[in-house]
Amino acid sequence: MSVEISETGAPVAAPVYKQRGPLYFAWRRFSSNKAAVSGGIVLVILVAMAVFAPLITKTRYDAQDFLGQALAFPSREFWFGIDDLGRDFFTRIVYGARVSLSIGFIAAACSVLIGIPLGAMAGYFGGRADWIIMRIIELFSVVPPLLAAMLLGAITRGGFATIVLIAALFGWVQVCLLVRAQVKAFREKEFVRAAQALGATPWYIIRRHLIPNSVSPIIVGFVLAIPLAMMLEASLSFLGIGVPPPTPSWGQMINTGMNFMFFYWHLAVFPTAALAITVLATTLFGDGLRDALDPTLKGR
Amino acid sequence: MTAPALELRGLSKKFPIRVGGRLLPRYAEHVAVDGVSLVVPTNRIVGLVGESGSGKTTTGLMAMRLIEPTSGQILIDGKDISRLGHAELKPFRRQMQVVFQDSYSALDPMMTLAQIVAEPLHIHGLMTARAQTEAALGWLERVGLDRSYGQRYPHELSGGQRQRVAIARALILRPSVLVADEPTSALDVSVKAQIINLLQDLQEEMGLSILFISHDLSVVRSLTDTVVVMHRGRVVEQAPTEAIFLESRHPYTRSLLDAIPVLHPRDRRRRTFQSAETIATGIPRLSARDLAAPAMPSATPQLVTVTPDHRVEAIVTA
Amino acid sequence: MILYILRRLVSIAVTFFVVSVLVFLMMHSVPGGPFDGNDMPLSAAVRAKLMAQLGLDQPLHVQYFNYMAGVLRLDFGVPYQSPGETVIGLLSRAWLPSLVLGGLGVLIGAPIGILLGMAAALKRNSWMDYLASGLATLGLTVPVFVISMGLILIFAVWLNWLPASGWGKPERWILPIIAFAAIPLATYARYTRSAMLDTLNKPFVTVLRAKGLSERRIIFQHVLRNSAIPMVTVFLPMFIGTATGSIFVEAMFRVPGLGSYFVSSIQSRDYPLEMALVLMVTLMFCFAYLISDILYALLNPRIRTGGRR
Repeated sequence: MSVEISETGAPVAAPVYKQRGPLYFAWRRFSSNKAAVSGGIVLVILVAMAVFAPLITKTRYDAQDFLGQALAFPSREFWFGIDDLGRDFFTRIVYGARVSLSIGFIAAACSVLIGIPLGAMAGYFGGRADWIIMRIIELFSVVPPLLAAMLLGAITRGGFATIVLIAALFGWVQVCLLVRAQVKAFREKEFVRAAQALGATPWYIIRRHLIPNSVSPIIVGFVLAIPLAMMLEASLSFLGIGVPPPTPSWGQMINTGMNFMFFYWHLAVFPTAALAITVLATTLFGDGLRDALDPTLKGR
Repeated sequence: MTAPALELRGLSKKFPIRVGGRLLPRYAEHVAVDGVSLVVPTNRIVGLVGESGSGKTTTGLMAMRLIEPTSGQILIDGKDISRLGHAELKPFRRQMQVVFQDSYSALDPMMTLAQIVAEPLHIHGLMTARAQTEAALGWLERVGLDRSYGQRYPHELSGGQRQRVAIARALILRPSVLVADEPTSALDVSVKAQIINLLQDLQEEMGLSILFISHDLSVVRSLTDTVVVMHRGRVVEQAPTEAIFLESRHPYTRSLLDAIPVLHPRDRRRRTFQSAETIATGIPRLSARDLAAPAMPSATPQLVTVTPDHRVEAIVTA
Repeated sequence: MILYILRRLVSIAVTFFVVSVLVFLMMHSVPGGPFDGNDMPLSAAVRAKLMAQLGLDQPLHVQYFNYMAGVLRLDFGVPYQSPGETVIGLLSRAWLPSLVLGGLGVLIGAPIGILLGMAAALKRNSWMDYLASGLATLGLTVPVFVISMGLILIFAVWLNWLPASGWGKPERWILPIIAFAAIPLATYARYTRSAMLDTLNKPFVTVLRAKGLSERRIIFQHVLRNSAIPMVTVFLPMFIGTATGSIFVEAMFRVPGLGSYFVSSIQSRDYPLEMALVLMVTLMFCFAYLISDILYALLNPRIRTGGRR
């Protein structure tokens, strides 16, 4: 068998792959988990909606085109009704998904970027590096993320970048712990010893051996950091210290909806449902991934 | 006289162990390896035997500088590498390689076999990527695996096949010294023989010097030229392989030999399980005049030279 | 054990110091004090006088030590938003609603969660199991204010059974208590379920079954006792979740508790109130840590006899 690419551009089928790899079994476990699969499907739909938002909505998210019909209830024309400032509420909800998901994904990516090197360092070098990093983590875990985020949000008065920063600041801890545990388990393995015997530098070993072997916890950490960040964003926006208007944010909309809920229920119901569904779907998806990739089930 | 491929001089390793409380910890020393000296001559296989916990694996890892020795010297071709830093050590890394006992954890599960075998070339920046892969596939063939295995992952192989891959990775840099840390003890008997044969063939072809760490004396007898026996972190006897099996002097060596199962009931020996005390009382007492090299009489056991190539731990009397 | 607690107290003191310094610095590093951006601009002279009065013109470390010296005498200063009283006076009025609602929430939520988790573990893949897992995921992932909103929408707006907000009459307490109960219920349902399942899969349970012990005795005498240990460790996340959630529950239901003061102090940059709340919350969490660790050590015989963690 060769590594060459066939003329059609697809990799040559590998007939020698009769034995099934761990990924195959992870996929089997994942696909038999109904909650996780439906969470994943919902998440895909939400991401598609957020990406193609301009195509499926009538107006810009901040266009006050329907002032005359402000606070109108849902109808065939306006699926989710009109909000208090004359904006199509469906448009607002769809763009809200954009804000929520992009903050979730960017913050999760930042968490992973901070968490991987720190976790790998703590796990590989142990000793003093580990001690320092663990003390930092301890400090972060005494202060609950939401409270600290509120404080930071209050001081900085919110904003997209600030929220991403805050979410990443608290999201990396979990990634770091997951990576650290995995690296710690693998650094005593003999293939690491073998690489050391070859004269490989610690950075080479971390990059080439330990991080690739931590893919599962990294993926899990990434996916589970997303709902955390979305929750933070919604909570801060709800308190009025998150994403500033007119950028649509579900948390902000819930806050507005609260004032109208007895008479114009749609302003409260839709953002609440949107937020609940998104966070729930992401978490179910992440939990399913974790169960599927859980190294303790790998049958080593 | 040419320098031996690998020489250890008075190598020791002490691990601190906490004996006091957490608040005011006090530390004691656990001596895992205590002043081990041994020589692996060029193109020879030296067996390092002893029970688990005797310090033989620690000695092997220290020889590779995978564990830092507390004191002592490691000489490769007569050059002391025990104090070299990472960068200065790197050229010597090419000369000595290691094969581990657990072939499963010795191979990175995320890499293909071709990548694993080519990794040493990659780390040392030798050849182009294409040539590295080609060399790796060649080595897979050389250790008896088809080239098509290059695309496979370690979990698809049997234990014996994985050990072949580990050997290919260790030898691709053409080292002069190989430390084999119980490479066969996790394998079935038939597979074990194949791996032993492979090591033997490669040793002859490449003129390797091997430090073969094992507790399996039948393997040691068929493979090695010299045997070093370790007990509680110390070398207690060293002699040519046949001499160890036929005329061992130290009680610990004899108890190891007694533990080998025999093929015929007629040959069955009395199995003795000796405690540390009985071994201590059985240490030979030799007169200084009978020794091949001078030694000071003393009440504590010391390693003495009985014949030019037979050393044993003994109490020297005047 | 005593040594261990002492060590922990020292580490709490260190954490407390670090957090207080960080928060203090953070709050003073922001451009703009409490007198900026107000509806009524103050003249420079008045402003300077006010700043001097409140000690805001001194160097930062002096301000910090003055402040901490006050804290030791339980003097947290005067809240900017109601200068007529002290922070401590304001907070002493505020803690009662929080404690009553939060306490009732935990007292109701935790047992229900434990029962649900047990039922789910014993009857795997039944509707009970799905209900418990569903509620647990819902409670642990969806922000509390969303749950509160849902409760208000269903019970107050749609069904019109209960009042949506306020404080005083007991029927006004029902919805906030349910909202408070969400996190303990979810946490305990999830962890009881997984702890029970873990224990049920242990070989010793199989041995007990093989011995012919009745299922009831196996569950109540052996499995429950062995599952209790991991459940204690859940106390802490549960506590933190409930406490942080209280901010939103109180804001949603307009309960005049600690949480709503926290929100208003944050929105109006009321340094003294904010500092006091943050310090109290940090201290609370530190002690919650300590308590849960001690409980864990007391319940776990392996740790108790070993003498070290």
